[in-house]
Amino acid sequence: MITVGARKAEPGPNGSRHEPAGGAMLGSPSNSDDVLVDCRSLWKIFGSRASAAMKAVQERGLGKTEVLKEFGCVVGVANATFSVRRGEIFCIMGLSGSGKSTLLRMLNRLVEPTSGEVFVKGRALSSLDAAALRELRARHVAMVFQSVALLPHRTVLENAAFGLEVRGVAKAERHRAAEEALRKVGLGDWLQRYPRELSGGMQQRVGLARALAVDPEIILMDEPFSALDPLIRRQLQDEFRQLTKDLGKSAVFITHDLDEAIRIGDRIAIMKDGAIIQIGTPEEIVLAPADDYVAKFVAGISRLHLVKAHSVMVPVERFRAERPDVDPRRLVTTTPDADIDRLIDLILADPAPGIAVVEAGRLVGVVTVRSLLLGLKGSPTPELAPV
Amino acid sequence: MDTSTVAELFDFWVDEGQYWLADNAAFLFEWLRFVFEGFYGGALAVLEFSPWFAVATIFGLLAWRIVSLSFGALTTAALAACWAMGLWAETMSTLALVASATGIALVLALPIGVLTGFFPKLDHVVEPILDLMQTLPPYIYLIPAIALLGFGPGTALAATLVVAMPPAIRLTSLGIRTTPIQFVELGKSTGMTPAQMFFKIRLPFAMPSIMAGINQSLMMAFGMVVIAGIVGSGGLGETIYEATRTLDIGKSIDAAIAIVILTIVIDRLTQGLVPSRKDPR
Repeated sequence: MITVGARKAEPGPNGSRHEPAGGAMLGSPSNSDDVLVDCRSLWKIFGSRASAAMKAVQERGLGKTEVLKEFGCVVGVANATFSVRRGEIFCIMGLSGSGKSTLLRMLNRLVEPTSGEVFVKGRALSSLDAAALRELRARHVAMVFQSVALLPHRTVLENAAFGLEVRGVAKAERHRAAEEALRKVGLGDWLQRYPRELSGGMQQRVGLARALAVDPEIILMDEPFSALDPLIRRQLQDEFRQLTKDLGKSAVFITHDLDEAIRIGDRIAIMKDGAIIQIGTPEEIVLAPADDYVAKFVAGISRLHLVKAHSVMVPVERFRAERPDVDPRRLVTTTPDADIDRLIDLILADPAPGIAVVEAGRLVGVVTVRSLLLGLKGSPTPELAPV
Repeated sequence: MDTSTVAELFDFWVDEGQYWLADNAAFLFEWLRFVFEGFYGGALAVLEFSPWFAVATIFGLLAWRIVSLSFGALTTAALAACWAMGLWAETMSTLALVASATGIALVLALPIGVLTGFFPKLDHVVEPILDLMQTLPPYIYLIPAIALLGFGPGTALAATLVVAMPPAIRLTSLGIRTTPIQFVELGKSTGMTPAQMFFKIRLPFAMPSIMAGINQSLMMAFGMVVIAGIVGSGGLGETIYEATRTLDIGKSIDAAIAIVILTIVIDRLTQGLVPSRKDPR
């Protein structure tokens, strides 16, 4: 098994967990080298009259139900725009039928978009011929399936080596790479077993090893852990995040479980009826849900490890105004990314009326019992805003 | 026009068509007969060249390896019984006919099955032909075939082909079509060429279905070689036909037992060859 460090919500090794205003990524075309996958206005309409329906959508702005009524076509994905940066784990969360699997399959052109464009490493997928597309799939974009799809008549080692076999890598070399990948996922002792001898969780590890063995830059994860029981699922989630960060891979991870998205993702896109309704870091999504639909999902999420001091502190001036008797510079200090769990510990340990939040030697705010409780409850209040 | 006249006209043209074929396409049928009897003769030569106990032992060993020790012993004993009944030459002749007919049938049927598996639109053409082949009473084509291919194993082999091909085509096509979708996606997402997709994904998953098709082809062939006794197939079919004509019930039962033994042995052997998902070692 992989040993997983105590990752609660600390920043990932490359610090990508704390980026300012992740929501601002929505719709901003970015040409930076750091962008691995860039999707612009992706649409997928299913049905024999898809192109006519697409035209009507663009010209007359038809909605999902009108398209179904008028053209008999189903809108799978509607105007999805997002980008995935190097080293980032990007979760797409939505319920069944929200179009998330279709969206994922447009990233390696298993599904052809009806309109819009996907750029992978700066190259437009629609411009690739069959050979170039095979090359891209074989080397740069690997995929892991919910159904795992291990070939039953091959051993674990042969399954993990499958991608390299397709690429024509010599047997000794591909078995060496597959063995290494299997060791990374903790299955080094199972090389010669057959898939049916493995538990569901172990089978999915083989699926992940098969994807890692080809050393891709991007891994597409199609609800890989949904069929597993809760304990194994959590374990695999942590291992997956750790492994992806350690290896410096990027991933697009599909899930119907917001808990999973928060646990794994650097950023999360929430889908409903084929459209992306919010993109942001887990903290942004939980603290500022874009609409009632997102708010309903967020309602049950524990904030203990998700919400940080910088989101629950009151501005220094307000604290001074409320408590002129206390000098904030003499309070116990902490950092802006201390989570609520940590803040509670500090408050319990010290009878002072607040905890000073210090960033780079500068006092940026004060967490009081009241502000902590307000933040924990999750209702955004003007009390926490700067004066 | 009177309907009976239409029917008469139709019958007239059917007869004319057959005469025309016999007159103008004789070289084709000569060639077909040569090919069919060549395959049959080759298979028979191998089987006749070996002494009966050698053949019985080899089949027994195969049955042991593929099925089980007890079935292996039973196979050898059962084949020895065929010899004891004085029907060894006929049994081998029937086996040669079935083997060569099924062999030719598979060479034709497997590619057709793969093609229809990939192009379901071919069904519009292939399905009616297969339905016709499977429902047409054998005597309808057995007798005219004598006129074209002559009395003998060539005609019997052609008739056997007609019944042996459809199951192999249908089950191969089914196997190719029913590749689990997640494995097709796996193949595409790993960047497979169409050829890799066929040999590494579609064919392995179609294998059990294809083997079932081969097994069914053999079974249909065994059914047909008995009927084909009427056109001079030789072997057990002809023995049964002759014995039935002369009301020699005992002899016909002997031959029937021999054919049942042969059929069961071949059936179990080919079923045992189906790659088993349960025990891949």
